[in-house]
Amino acid sequence: MSHHSEDIQYPLLQRLTQQFGPSGSENSVIQAILPEIQAFSDETKIDALGNLIAIKQGTSGKQIMISSHVDEIGIIVTYMDKNGFLRFTAIGGVHVSSMPYRRVRFQNGTVGTIGVEKLDKLSDLKLEKLYIDIGAASEEEAAVKVGIGDSAVFVGEYAEMGSRIMAKALDNRAGCFVLIEAMKRVRSPHTLAFAFTTQEEVGLRGARPAAYALEPDAAITVDVTRTGDTPKAQLMSVKLGDGVAIKVMDRSIVVSPAVKEWMIQTAKKRNIPYQYEVLESGGTESGMIQLTKTGVLTGVLSIPARYIHSPGEMIDQRDLETTIALLVALLQDSLEENPLF
Amino acid sequence: MKAQADRAKEFLRSLSEISAVSGYEYRLIEQIEAGFRLIADEITQDSFHHVYARKKGSKGTSKIMLAAHSDEIGLMITDVDQRGFLHFTQIAGVDAKTLLGQEVTVHGEQDVPGVIASVPPRALTSDNGQSIIKMEDMRIDVGMPQAQIREVIDVGATVTIRRKMTELLNNRVAGKAFDDRAGIVAMAVCFEELEKMHHLHDVMAVATVQEEVGIRGAGISAYRLAPDLAIAIDVTHASTSDHKNPSIELGKGPAVAIGPNIHPAIAKKLGEIAQENRLSYQFDPNPGATGTDARVIQITQAGIPTGLLSIPLRYMHTSVEMLEMKDVVNTGKLLAYFIASLPEDLEDFLCY
Repeated sequence: MSHHSEDIQYPLLQRLTQQFGPSGSENSVIQAILPEIQAFSDETKIDALGNLIAIKQGTSGKQIMISSHVDEIGIIVTYMDKNGFLRFTAIGGVHVSSMPYRRVRFQNGTVGTIGVEKLDKLSDLKLEKLYIDIGAASEEEAAVKVGIGDSAVFVGEYAEMGSRIMAKALDNRAGCFVLIEAMKRVRSPHTLAFAFTTQEEVGLRGARPAAYALEPDAAITVDVTRTGDTPKAQLMSVKLGDGVAIKVMDRSIVVSPAVKEWMIQTAKKRNIPYQYEVLESGGTESGMIQLTKTGVLTGVLSIPARYIHSPGEMIDQRDLETTIALLVALLQDSLEENPLF
Repeated sequence: MKAQADRAKEFLRSLSEISAVSGYEYRLIEQIEAGFRLIADEITQDSFHHVYARKKGSKGTSKIMLAAHSDEIGLMITDVDQRGFLHFTQIAGVDAKTLLGQEVTVHGEQDVPGVIASVPPRALTSDNGQSIIKMEDMRIDVGMPQAQIREVIDVGATVTIRRKMTELLNNRVAGKAFDDRAGIVAMAVCFEELEKMHHLHDVMAVATVQEEVGIRGAGISAYRLAPDLAIAIDVTHASTSDHKNPSIELGKGPAVAIGPNIHPAIAKKLGEIAQENRLSYQFDPNPGATGTDARVIQITQAGIPTGLLSIPLRYMHTSVEMLEMKDVVNTGKLLAYFIASLPEDLEDFLCY
């Protein structure tokens, strides 16, 4: 796999990562994705949860749902004091210890930094000791720009370093990017329902109603997963650059051995580098999709990522490109080759 | 009588000694089907490896679902280190302190025997190894160099404990995965009893999957069946030496759950039927959602009236789970007598 394969549109990934999309306020991301996929869809719709569903009709009579969440972690304003400082709480899995002095950005472009009250010791660091300073001198001045209940995302610009990419929200705009690139390439006998889902970071929430409405015959989720290849990292066999990670288990799903085997055999057949993923903490929306109605066999392709839920999430283009290649290959399988139907 | 108890014991043995962790229940299907073949009218499966055994009622007005889960807790390989030691994590709630020194099977390309080891106590840096060793500090040793291991075992391979069922005194047995294969045996006993009885409603015994990883299979199988009434059969903690006030005890019969997770008419009727038939039973109050299939079944579709019978069991989630066969057989009998006693109009019976 070469880096910067000519037909992979990395500027699109850059644009996607910089969109504003904390859980519950994903519309900017959805609106950024929509024009990219319309030419490759027979039908698009946005459902009651804000999920964007794009259908590519097939002829086999079978339907595969492919999901990737669009939302990112962030914060939501809970209180504004007389001097214009904002108190807040986290949207999704953001640890307090990682918050101080991060920059945040609101949907209207207002930026701020997270300040910390005087602490006697580091262990006193709690959410209630933190505040956001948007440069306002009074409550009145702050209220012009921001209100209670407004959410913000962490600032983290996009950078390419050789084959590696660093940005905020690669979890999971990288997954969205994989879906878009796959939509451009895939020719499938099956009906494909691409679901750009909302509210994953607050409990895997958007995907389930999407799956309920679609009633797919099988599903594939694309998301990021952590790696174990940084200094003294928690043990994990996944490495950046070793290829798409085929999930075996996380805390939301034990992938059916039949699905796992289908993915492995397809990767082998096409000489796509892959690795196995056993994620000991955390889950994916695949866990919700698989339990919809009478059950949906669901597999997961994971993009290895370091520093997940930080402004400097890092992935490797080789992993991204092998994920696209394997997703396309899986979706192109004819009925006979696909063990899920 | 004796024959029935022996059949139950042998069925339990055959199920217990097969390895099928959550998500890999396909390994058990053949054995479950063998146990129901002669007593069910129809046996089907779905893509999640649920096994559905159907017993037709004389009227077939309503559908009763019985649910006992087939999966067991286990381990999964997370890494193969350079010297060939296997790192692992748990699939569902494994008690780490019971793992050391266990013989295991690693289910790779082929089944490979191994043992669970850790660094010796003298090599531990703190408190002379008196504290409990964490799972992340344990390794599986299969006695092969890394290169050779890679050919047969990869990350993601499942691991189970090798354990034969042991027969103890007083018709008690010890072994692995009685949680909840004893429940499947109880469903088979129920079907045997129903052969001799007249019952109006169709009964569907379901070996559910993935209970131990978050009660996942029961919801989708209940959604598929949409039963009019359901009873989950699971195990419950029987008193052990540390209990000052024993509540549930081995040998005292099935535990009839009571609480918000249970439809009151079902719990009441189970108690009455047990008394009428002189079957010993115990009540098991549960203040909230139980940690069983009943939890999910009750709130599937538009809601399903649900009951729960639990077989008393000691040392849950270890490879020496212990139960008394009499409790398993009586659980099956109570289920059958309950089903046979149900009126044609369930709506009236289930009216709050």
